[in-house]
Amino acid sequence: MTDFKINQRDGEGISVIELKGYLDAHTAPDLESAFQKLLTEKKYNIVVNCRDLSYISSAGLGVFMAYVEDVRKNNGDIKLTNMSSKVYNVFDLLGFPMLYEIYKDEKEAIVRFNDFKKNL
Amino acid sequence: MPRIRQIILIIIPATLLPIIFIYDVTRSAVNFEVISLSIIREIFVVFTFGLICLFVISHYREQRKNATKEIGKILFALLFSLLLIAVSALIQPTVAQGRESLSINQSIVSILISTILTAMLVTLTMYLLLIILDLILFKRKRNTKKYYYAYIILLSLTCIAELSFIKKEIGFISTVLFSLSILAIIFNSFRQNWIVYLSKREKIYSIIFSVLLFISLTILNLFLTQNSITNSKLIAYSGLLHSFIQLNALFGAVYFGVTFVSALFHLPTAEVFERKQSELSSLHNLSRLVTQVFDFNDLVNTVTQMTTEVCAANSVWLELFFIDENTGEINVEISAKKNISQQKIDLISDNSAIQLRHYLLDTKKVLLVDDIWSDYRTKNLKDKGFSGSLLTVPLLSHGKLIGVLNATKDYKNAFDQDDIEVMTTFADHVSIAIENSRLIAKSIERERLHQEMMVAQRMQKRLLPQYLPTLPSVEFSAASESSFEVGGDYYDIIDLSKNKFGIVVGDVSGKGVSAAFYMAEVKGIVLALSKISKTPKELLTGANEALKESLDKNAFISAMYAVLDANEETLTLARAGHCPALFISQDKAEFVRPNGIGLGLTKRNQFENAIEERKIKLKKGDVFVFYTDGITEARNSMMEEYGYDRLLKIAMESKEYPADVIKDRIINNVRTFISMGSYNDDITIIILKWLGN
Repeated sequence: MTDFKINQRDGEGISVIELKGYLDAHTAPDLESAFQKLLTEKKYNIVVNCRDLSYISSAGLGVFMAYVEDVRKNNGDIKLTNMSSKVYNVFDLLGFPMLYEIYKDEKEAIVRFNDFKKNL
Repeated sequence: MPRIRQIILIIIPATLLPIIFIYDVTRSAVNFEVISLSIIREIFVVFTFGLICLFVISHYREQRKNATKEIGKILFALLFSLLLIAVSALIQPTVAQGRESLSINQSIVSILISTILTAMLVTLTMYLLLIILDLILFKRKRNTKKYYYAYIILLSLTCIAELSFIKKEIGFISTVLFSLSILAIIFNSFRQNWIVYLSKREKIYSIIFSVLLFISLTILNLFLTQNSITNSKLIAYSGLLHSFIQLNALFGAVYFGVTFVSALFHLPTAEVFERKQSELSSLHNLSRLVTQVFDFNDLVNTVTQMTTEVCAANSVWLELFFIDENTGEINVEISAKKNISQQKIDLISDNSAIQLRHYLLDTKKVLLVDDIWSDYRTKNLKDKGFSGSLLTVPLLSHGKLIGVLNATKDYKNAFDQDDIEVMTTFADHVSIAIENSRLIAKSIERERLHQEMMVAQRMQKRLLPQYLPTLPSVEFSAASESSFEVGGDYYDIIDLSKNKFGIVVGDVSGKGVSAAFYMAEVKGIVLALSKISKTPKELLTGANEALKESLDKNAFISAMYAVLDANEETLTLARAGHCPALFISQDKAEFVRPNGIGLGLTKRNQFENAIEERKIKLKKGDVFVFYTDGITEARNSMMEEYGYDRLLKIAMESKEYPADVIKDRIINNVRTFISMGSYNDDITIIILKWLGN
C-alpha cells in the first residue's frame, strides 16, 4: 500500500495542512475527512502545504474541488503551496492555477490571508 | 409359494399326529409291544415333529420381530402351558410306572394328554430357541454364531442319543452329550449385547419379562425332572422330544436368568446411555441439515426440537440478533420456539432479557441461571410466573454474537455440564448454518453483480468506435484498455462531413461504475455538440456548461478535442485539462499544450476565458499521438512513472511506420516498462498520421 500522511497545524486563524506521500483514490478519503473536520470547526482559512506530496491522482484533485466552494462561501479559501514540479504539472494540466492560488512558499499564502483580513 | 409350503408343513403333521395317536391307543389296548413297530413309530414321531419345527421356523421368519414383543408372546404361551400341565397333573394324579408305560394299560385321556403336551412344548421351546437366536445374534461377533450352532448340534446329538434303540447301546454317551449341551447353554447365555441398546423403559420391560420367563421356565424344568407325572408322560411319548424340550427349557431358563441380572445391572446407566445415543443421532441429523442451507427454518426447528428432547428441557427458543451497525440497536427475531408462547418470551425480554442480552453481548459466554427466583439477573421474573432454571448459549460467528439458544427447566439447578455442552454444540451448528447461508447469499449477489458488470463492459465497449474512418490522406489507429471491468476513458473519431473529422479523447476522474456513467454522458454531449460547434473551443465550452450541472462536486473530466480538416490540411485542437497531444513532424517533436481547464471544474466565463486553440498546418508524415494519463503515469515495480520522455522517444523512433504499428510499438513499450507492475488506470491511445493529399 502506498503511504499517505496528513499533519495539521493551526495558526492565528489559519490552518495549515501538510500532505505527505501518495494522494490517490485510496488515500483521498483521509484528506476528505481532514477538510470535513476543518469545516465543522469553522476553520475556513486553509493552506495546503504540498512539500512532501510525491504524487496526486485525479481522485486527489477531486477532494479540493469538493470543498473549495463551501470554504469560499464562508469568505475563506484553500491556498496551495510548496509543490514539487511534478505535482505542479498535474495541477497545471487541469488548469488548477486558474482556479486556486498556488504559492511557492507557505509564508506567502499566510501573508495573503492576513492581507485579505486587513482589507475586510 | 411360502404359503403353500407352510400349508404342507402343517397338514402333514396334522395327519400324522392322529395316526400316531390311534396307534398308541391301539397298542395300549392290546398291551402288545413289537420292537420293530416301536422303532417305526419313533421315526414317524421324529419326522412329524421335525415338520412342526420347520413350520414354527417359517412362521417365525415371516413376521418382523420385535424382541420385547416376542418375549411377551412366548411368556403368555408358557404360562398357558404351565396351566395345562398343572391341569393334566390334576386329572392324572397317579404316577405311572416304568418308562415304556405308554404301551401298557393307559387310558385314551392319558395318551391324549401326552400327545398334546409334547406337541405344545415342542412348538413352544422351538419358538423360544428362535427368539434366543435373534437375541444372541444382535451385534454379533465372529464366534457368536459358532457357539449357537454348537448348541444346536449338541442338542440334536443328545436328542438322537435318546432314541430308544440307540440309548440301550450307548447310555453313558447320552449323559456326556447332555452335559456338553449344558456347557453350550452357559456359553450362549452370556450373549446379552442387545440389552445395552434398549431404552430405559424397554429395559424395565425386559427385566419384568425375563424374570417371569425365568420363573416359568424353572417351574417347567421342575416338571421335567424325574418322578413327575408330566415328565413320565413326555418320556413315555418320546424320549427324544423330551430331551429337546428339557434342554431348550433349560436354555431358556438360564438365558433369561442371565438377561434378568444383566438388565438389572444396566438399568442405572440406561439413562446416560440413552442420552449419549440421542446426542449422537441428533448431531448426525444436524450435520446433515447444516449442509442444506436452504432449509434454514427446518434446521432451527430441528434444533429446538432436539434441545427439548436431549436436554429434557421444558421450553426452548432460538433468538437471532440483527445488530444495526449505525445505531448499535439490537433487533431480535425469534426464529423458532418450542413449548413457549411469544407473550412469555416478550415477558422475559421486558423484565430481564435486555440485561441478559447485554451480558451476552459483553461476555459471549454461556449464561446459566440455576434459580430464576434468586439470580440477580432474573429476579424480576419471579412475579411473572417463571421458576426453575434457565440456560442461554450464544451463537457466535467470527467472534460476533448473532443470536442465542435458550432453554428452561421448571426446577432449580436443572442443567448439568452435559446440557451445556450439547446446547453449545447445537448453537455452533446453527451458527455454521447461518454463516453458510450468508456466504451463499453473498456469493450469489457477487455473481449477479459480476454478470451486471460484464453487461456494462459489453455496453461500454460499444460506446467506443467500432470502426475508424478510412480515407486516402490520413491513417487512424486507436486502442483502449480498462483496468477494471468498466472504465472512464473515452475516445471517438467523428465524421463531421465535408472531409472534416472530430477527434476526441477524455478521461473521467475516478474509476469504475461512476466513471463509466460519466463517460457515456460525455459521449452523448460530444456527439451532439460536434454537429453544431464550429470550433474545438466552442465544443469544449459547451461540454463544460452541460457537465458542470450534472457532475459530482469532486468529479471532473479532462478532454482534448481536435478537428482535422483534410481539405484545408490543418488540425485545430483545444485542451480541457487533458494530457498534451504529442506532435511529431519531420523536423521536430513537441507536446502541444494550449491552455485550458478540466470539464466541470468551473463556470462558463472562466472556462471560456482560459481555453485556447491551436491550429497546425499539416505536412506529409506528421504524426499526432493523443492519449490518457494511464500511459504517462504507468508505473513499474520500482514505482517509477513511464513519463513524457519515454513516450516521446518511442514515438520518435516509430514515426516512419504506419499508424497501426506506431500504436502497437508504443503500447508494447509501455508494457515492457511496467513489466512486473500492472496498469492501475485505464489507458487509451489514438494515432493520427497525415499522409498528404
